[in-house]
Amino acid sequence: MAEGCSGSILQFAPFQSSVDEGFWHRLSSLKLNQLGIDESPISITGFYAPCTHPQVSNHLTLLSESLPPEEGEQSFVRDRSHSNRNRCAVPGILYNTNTIEGFHALDKQCLLREEAKKIWADIQSGAAEKDSALLSRFLLISFADLKKWSFHYWFAFPALVLDPPATLADLKPASDFLSLEEAESLSVACNEWRKSSATADVPYFLVTLGSNSRATIKHLSDWEACRHDIHKLLFGFYDPCHLPNNPGWPLRNFLGLIYSRWNLKSIRFLCYRENRGFADMGLSLIGEALISAPQEWRYEQHVPSSVGWELNRGKRLPRCITLSKSMDPIRLAVSAADLNLKLMRWRALPSLNLNILSATKCLLLGAGTLGCQVARMLMAWGVRKITLLDNGRVAMSNPLRQSLYTLDDCLNGGDYKATAAEKSLKRIFPAVEAEGVVMAIPMPGHPVSIEEENIVLEDCRRLHDLIASHDAVFLLTDTRESRWLPTLLCANANKITITAALGFDSFLVMRHGAGPFRPTQDAENALSSDMENMSLCDKNGGQRLGCYFCNDVVAPVDSVANRTLDQQCTVTRPGLAPIASALAVELLVGLLHHPLGIYAEGESASSNGTRSCEQPLGILPHQIRGSISQFSQMTLIGHSSNSCTACCSVVVSEYRKRGMDFVLQAVNEPTYLEDLTGLTELMKSASSFKLDWDDEAEIDGDEFVEI
Amino acid sequence: MLSDATILDISSWDGTISPSEFIAAAHAFAEKWKLRCRGLPIWSWICCRKTPFISSHEVDGYLSLEKLCILRSDKMEDHGIDDAGKEGLNCSENEECTDSAVLVHESCLEVHYYDLHVVYSSSYRVPVIYFRGYRSDGQPLVMDDIEKDIPANSAKVLMESKWTFMTEQEHPYLKWPWYTLHPCGTNEFMRLLFLIDVSLLEDRVAAEQYLTSWLSVVGQVAGLKVPLQMVDSTPPLTTS
Repeated sequence: MAEGCSGSILQFAPFQSSVDEGFWHRLSSLKLNQLGIDESPISITGFYAPCTHPQVSNHLTLLSESLPPEEGEQSFVRDRSHSNRNRCAVPGILYNTNTIEGFHALDKQCLLREEAKKIWADIQSGAAEKDSALLSRFLLISFADLKKWSFHYWFAFPALVLDPPATLADLKPASDFLSLEEAESLSVACNEWRKSSATADVPYFLVTLGSNSRATIKHLSDWEACRHDIHKLLFGFYDPCHLPNNPGWPLRNFLGLIYSRWNLKSIRFLCYRENRGFADMGLSLIGEALISAPQEWRYEQHVPSSVGWELNRGKRLPRCITLSKSMDPIRLAVSAADLNLKLMRWRALPSLNLNILSATKCLLLGAGTLGCQVARMLMAWGVRKITLLDNGRVAMSNPLRQSLYTLDDCLNGGDYKATAAEKSLKRIFPAVEAEGVVMAIPMPGHPVSIEEENIVLEDCRRLHDLIASHDAVFLLTDTRESRWLPTLLCANANKITITAALGFDSFLVMRHGAGPFRPTQDAENALSSDMENMSLCDKNGGQRLGCYFCNDVVAPVDSVANRTLDQQCTVTRPGLAPIASALAVELLVGLLHHPLGIYAEGESASSNGTRSCEQPLGILPHQIRGSISQFSQMTLIGHSSNSCTACCSVVVSEYRKRGMDFVLQAVNEPTYLEDLTGLTELMKSASSFKLDWDDEAEIDGDEFVEI
Repeated sequence: MLSDATILDISSWDGTISPSEFIAAAHAFAEKWKLRCRGLPIWSWICCRKTPFISSHEVDGYLSLEKLCILRSDKMEDHGIDDAGKEGLNCSENEECTDSAVLVHESCLEVHYYDLHVVYSSSYRVPVIYFRGYRSDGQPLVMDDIEKDIPANSAKVLMESKWTFMTEQEHPYLKWPWYTLHPCGTNEFMRLLFLIDVSLLEDRVAAEQYLTSWLSVVGQVAGLKVPLQMVDSTPPLTTS
């Protein structure tokens, strides 16, 4: 039957969908803010236009404007120009399910039938003649996975099926079909129609060709007036398809309307297409379709069967789009953070090595005022791997000065600082690899009982492992003696070590020099092996920069005992910790960028004047001491001491020899370290001087410093 | 009428333009484009109503050109994103009958579309280009796809002009991320451009010409070629 004598089956190029990213953004926020779990269908608007490109079809497009505007949030809604000639509005309906199962379970045939029924009803009632866009009504089902920012969706463009199908009597470019005058006149008329805001978005129309070759375009509702000139009548529609031998999808329901309402069996149609914004009679097609559908088509109650689910690359599959790149806040935060740093590199510091910064693993010993602030500064510089070690809990007095905590962290006895800090860092920047370790640092002068010994030794080993697995260590605890073991372990492992310590209104920030021994060749990471290759340091300690303990002539002891409360707590001016923390981090960044790394000589502001080898980040000092009361700051250099209780070769080699036994003895015996390093001797010989040594809070004795 | 009234004095100029100069230039540019570049997608001014109390935008809109299309013949290199819907959707459920009136046709062309927006940056006081690319079904193009679309000689121009850094940032009006060329070097580039332009006999240059020159460089990143007619200095034809 399809092989009717008149010609082949008329085949229509299916409508293609295109969904703008903005549509999914709007749908997501609509779902989150308004719809909740409501699954009722939503009216949406699709847009299409005649084909405008000889090689590319137009699509039915969904934009953010396709969805109803959100309540109360009309801030930046684009002004919708009411009759955008390239946006003919088409009504559609959206079924957005709450689950993927719901999406798959939708009865697609039934939904399609429902929409086809509406189209049929609009044809029968005459509504489609008044508002012809109703003929192109479409259907969209979707599941918005807002956790993964992916959207599963499937379009249907319901078409009433003529059975048997229409056949084609003739189809050729409009310019071949019409006389030159007619083509010219039709172009003018179409351009007028497309220019007028009243008609530009009316996609179906009637064209009459007068005997004087004049073309006139009329609305479908003017049918009665035109029906007497049937032989000169064209049924025109905006054709989104570009193909030279096939009309586009919108013609299908139009034929249905013409056949069922106006009882025509031979229909001459115009596929209206444009090029460069104007009517193109070479691309536009005129054809004649022959219809021989059964009588049921004439009955209103009978709804013809329908087709129209869009294929996905020729298969009956839904489509899926993933927008995590533009919607996942974590990815957005990462790219925004990177941008800030990249900008710095582009504009001011071309040699800034962001990869080193993001790869450097930092261990922060102490998660108090200094630890919180150092962690924040590290993140600001693009450091992504931060471990915080602390055994304290967040107290009510902490959040005001310790910038990672809030009142919530203090409730019910307080969370562990290490854990709370980890959580807080991740809240600030979800891509950070933060870890909190709740652990105490064994300290000299705080003897341990036999029962506790195993715990202490376990802590020592853990600390040793932590230091080994990090690239840079910050000493940010509030007592001097708690810095002893980490200093020793860092000197032993040759790790970058930075100390920040606070007095009431003065501070010290310093980097420790390299350890007394060259690291073993099988250093764990590339960072330190790079540095050791360039080592300029001689092992005798003459050039080595000092550590925190090098300038002292007493071993660390219990500095908390016998002190009043205001002395015990770190009572400092609140501005001090942020300043010192920021300097400590800047010092690390400078060190990481220095070609000699941990072996870099100390530089000071005054010696810098005529330096030719100045680094892009500026000088790399050894120590920075500052005073708020004077609003002053100075850079100092101090070399390592041969009788240092933490980093001299005697101590480190003793540790290497005896390991944990040595640590235990140092912790338990007050004078062991001083005896070992010869400090006891030194003190005796120096007893004529009246010295008033104290803990790190007093940083005034500067005699030993070379300026 | 606005266009040539807005004149920049470049003798002591830092390469920036004011919001009002931008608005005037944008309108003049769009108008000229419509007259001289018939057939290309048109630039239109998208008006965004100002929100009360939030005066983050000194300019209440931006210039927009949409659906610039780039044809690629190598359709068959899979972009591997779809088929995500593969997960066992049972389609054998007596789907619609095969309908002989449906044309089965696979296009061998892959089309990439680009949208370009020119937004005024109040902090840098220069125009900024925001753009995005997408496939015909709306799937966004990633940075790699976009770089592949840039013709070799354009890529070279962009590489050599060191101030054109492609990044992704939130569109200031649409509030979701678009690609952009960071504006931090624009004013310096524009200042130098107009300093060495010998064709400028007077120290004055139309703001609209600023936009044209600037866009002829940055537009290349999204496949926009500013036609020569736009830089032709003869006055535009006055069409009825």
